[in-house]
Amino acid sequence: MSHADDAGSDTARRADGNGPVTDMRISLTRWLVKTSRNPYVIFSSLVQPVIFFVLLAEVLGAVAGPALAATVGDVHYVTYLTPAIVIQSALAAAAVSGIGLVDDMETGMFEKTLVSPMHRGAMFLGKVCSEVVRIAVQTLLILALGYLVLALTSDATTAGYLRTGLPGLVGIVAVTVLFGGVFMAYSNVVALVTRDREATIMIANLLTFPLLFVSSAVLPLSVLPGWIRAVAVVNPITYGVDGIRALMLGRDVLSVFDVTGFGGLWNTVAPAVAVLVACNVVLGAAALRLLGDAAKAEVH
Amino acid sequence: MQSTRPTVEANSAEPPAGRLAIEAENVHVTYADGTEAVRGVDLTVGAGEFFGFLGPNGAGKTTTIKTLVTLLDPTRGSVRIDGYDTTDESQAVRESIGYMAQETSVDEELTARENVRYTCEVYGVPKGARDDRIAELLELVGLDDVTDQRAETFSGGMKKRLDAATVLVHRPPVVFLDEPTTGLDPEARLRFWEYLQSINDRGTTVFLTTQYLEEVDRLCDRLALLQDGEVVTTDTPAALKSAVGGDVLDVTLVDAADTERATRAVYRSDAFDAATVEPTDDGLAITAENVREGINELFRALDAAGVAVTGFDVRSPTLDDVFLRLTDDELESDGDDATRKLEVAR
Repeated sequence: MSHADDAGSDTARRADGNGPVTDMRISLTRWLVKTSRNPYVIFSSLVQPVIFFVLLAEVLGAVAGPALAATVGDVHYVTYLTPAIVIQSALAAAAVSGIGLVDDMETGMFEKTLVSPMHRGAMFLGKVCSEVVRIAVQTLLILALGYLVLALTSDATTAGYLRTGLPGLVGIVAVTVLFGGVFMAYSNVVALVTRDREATIMIANLLTFPLLFVSSAVLPLSVLPGWIRAVAVVNPITYGVDGIRALMLGRDVLSVFDVTGFGGLWNTVAPAVAVLVACNVVLGAAALRLLGDAAKAEVH
Repeated sequence: MQSTRPTVEANSAEPPAGRLAIEAENVHVTYADGTEAVRGVDLTVGAGEFFGFLGPNGAGKTTTIKTLVTLLDPTRGSVRIDGYDTTDESQAVRESIGYMAQETSVDEELTARENVRYTCEVYGVPKGARDDRIAELLELVGLDDVTDQRAETFSGGMKKRLDAATVLVHRPPVVFLDEPTTGLDPEARLRFWEYLQSINDRGTTVFLTTQYLEEVDRLCDRLALLQDGEVVTTDTPAALKSAVGGDVLDVTLVDAADTERATRAVYRSDAFDAATVEPTDDGLAITAENVREGINELFRALDAAGVAVTGFDVRSPTLDDVFLRLTDDELESDGDDATRKLEVAR
């Protein structure tokens, strides 16, 4: 076959295929550049968490004291709230994941990839990785923000902020990414079913705010109405927040059901991770299935 | 630019001898909803040819081209591109082709340079060759002065040209373009034609779908005419034009309502042997051998019939004429009344 090795030659030839890892890196780079240029990203990853943090800490913090004392004990509300802000921001980032895919379909970049020798799975994985990077970075920023708010609050100390140290920090990022995966998959399912940018954004917005309040995110479930407790059991936010909170406080905080046998904080972290992994598998499989269908138009 | 383009004999319905770039055999594509978009298309395109694929909207051009570039599998039949089967060796096909879709496909958040670089990476262009390749292609499409501007700031024509540059990063032996000039203004279209000509001049096989007859006439070595998912004819533009049978005389009438009367007068007169008369928006188009020689006689006949003429023009037949003729024949052989010719005077 015609294969010229001279890169500068005008001879027509087949392209050199890349390995899947190279393809993934190429896709990751493209999406990171696009993410860094999107002004909405700066808003939802940096500005929005600060606003949320300050507002919730001021408003709910003023009345949360007794509820916290009765449940988690001597924990400042800022420390209690930090996992909620981490999860809320991860949700905001993950829930728009499908938009990039719909945009690529609308602009033809998706089809352009399909006719290229690029490995299809690697292309998608590279995009997912760019979102994982974004979620990991913003999680670290929010944890730093929580520490800063606590340090600036006159009646608080930063001593009990992150009781599990560096291993806990790694664990928090891992749980957050795992949580993000659930909603990334969900958003891509919505995007692939609707193939519509507006629908994908609408469903992302619809989720972000209400889901936070029907979970253990902002107040202990024991002080909330019964129906919220019931919904919280099936709300992935509960597991994300409780998993992170257990890692911050270094103890079992799971409030939707009782798990014993893992010991200490693992009684929360183990079931939370299990639930999040299960959600990832189910929604991820649905997303991949739909992606496979989208890659090949329906022909008899 | 040095030309490696094979010379194609005039009036040749066959591809030039040698390696084949595209071989489609009895390709059928039926969508899941039952639509038979392509119904038995055969195509044979030689390496280095500039091949036009012409047809009205909805004829099945896009479905066919998507089948050729591995986006669709044929329901029946087979396609080989540069020797590789599109179904069984799709990866090898993808490595051998460039494809420019009908919708402009560029990443608007990236700059022109970044768009081309991304495609270079996707196609595995070696790192050392990338910068030169990017500069060369952006110059070729005339975007070398805006390389670091984001594509979102570009006009439609600039985006098209950027898209076209990304199609060529790996110097594919075969390039597919689906209506690349649709929506471009006349100047942008001319520039794009020059660009297409120059890539064909370097030996690249070009397969181009279009609705513009002028485009195939100017660019293509051979063309296939597609209608309702079937190839009506395959030939050189010149052969098809000569098949129309002579030059065309456009006659503009004072009153377009006189068209029918004028047509009858033309058929009754001795002005031409075997003329074909078709109505136009403002008069008639008369096609005949030696049409010039009958002009005086024609005017006498029209005058006698009381039809006033404001102007006339003799021209070579265009592919529009070919197209009307061929599709009319189809319609007539189907016994359809929707024929464009006036039957009254026959």
